[in-house]
Amino acid sequence: MPPAFFLQFIGAGKLGAERVSTLLTGVGVLWDDGMRALAVLVLLCGALLPALLLGAMAVLHAPQRFERWIASPALLAAAARSLELGAIPEVQVLAVLVALLKLGSLVNVTIGPGFWFYCAMTFCLILAECLFDSQPSQERPRAPAQAGPP
Amino acid sequence: MKRASFNLGLKGTSASSALAIAAALMLIPANLLPVLTTDTSGPERDDTILSGALELWRQGLGAIALIVITASIVIPILKLVGLGWIILSVRGGPPRNPQRMTRIYVAIEFIGRWSMLDVFLAAFLTGLVRFGALATVEARSGIVAFAAAVILTVLATQAFDPRALWVGSAEPKPSPFR
Repeated sequence: MPPAFFLQFIGAGKLGAERVSTLLTGVGVLWDDGMRALAVLVLLCGALLPALLLGAMAVLHAPQRFERWIASPALLAAAARSLELGAIPEVQVLAVLVALLKLGSLVNVTIGPGFWFYCAMTFCLILAECLFDSQPSQERPRAPAQAGPP
Repeated sequence: MKRASFNLGLKGTSASSALAIAAALMLIPANLLPVLTTDTSGPERDDTILSGALELWRQGLGAIALIVITASIVIPILKLVGLGWIILSVRGGPPRNPQRMTRIYVAIEFIGRWSMLDVFLAAFLTGLVRFGALATVEARSGIVAFAAAVILTVLATQAFDPRALWVGSAEPKPSPFR
């Protein structure tokens, strides 16, 4: 995730002028232009909520020895289900692809590594969502413990 | 008992109806006001959602134009029509085919996220195309109205309790999401 957020996302050039954007550049420009609600929405749906969702799923699937650190797995699973509603990086990827085609005639565009990292993160998130089982790991059936020596 | 639980279903649709009506109202400015202004060393060009998509079509990007029209015009309208149909079917008494209605509800929930395409597109273009007098793209108020319509539609879908579709139904209630 950090490379997707901070590395060059897309570069654009026109008549010698160059501009490099990261994932959050558009958010900053919208904020500066006074469209703050829109900036917050894009930040949430494209960056923060996907990151939180990945984190929640990682914690829920943590190895058993870490489970005692999770206060309420059921609550975390419910939160993950709610986060799924707003975490839509795949729509952001499609929007960038549409923008690249749209910009083709206007400026010279180059795809930066940040975009590929973001695509990888999106793919992992979709895969994790497909495999995600909202049942907390504590409630999953366990293999019976082997009988040890008395 | 059956009547009481049916009334509960009706009560649950009120918030959903209100949010769906608000979303429908927000779609009017979203489609009439410009969403982007493009300035490329010439006269400024204001684009609404539809005119932007038609411009893509004129540039020979028909497939992209279709994606934008589908995500930004067809899906929001389909969602609202579908949600309206579901709400009306619950208000008119126990739905005749709750299984079909539940499938429609799940489909509405699934396709809703793709409406955000235009919002992300505007944010991305605004951030990238900033070349002063050479080329500049700016987001306009139409995109704020559109984002509000999308959020209200999502909230309307979430406010609706799909269990209301099965209240009073003779059919056994399946798990709608699995």
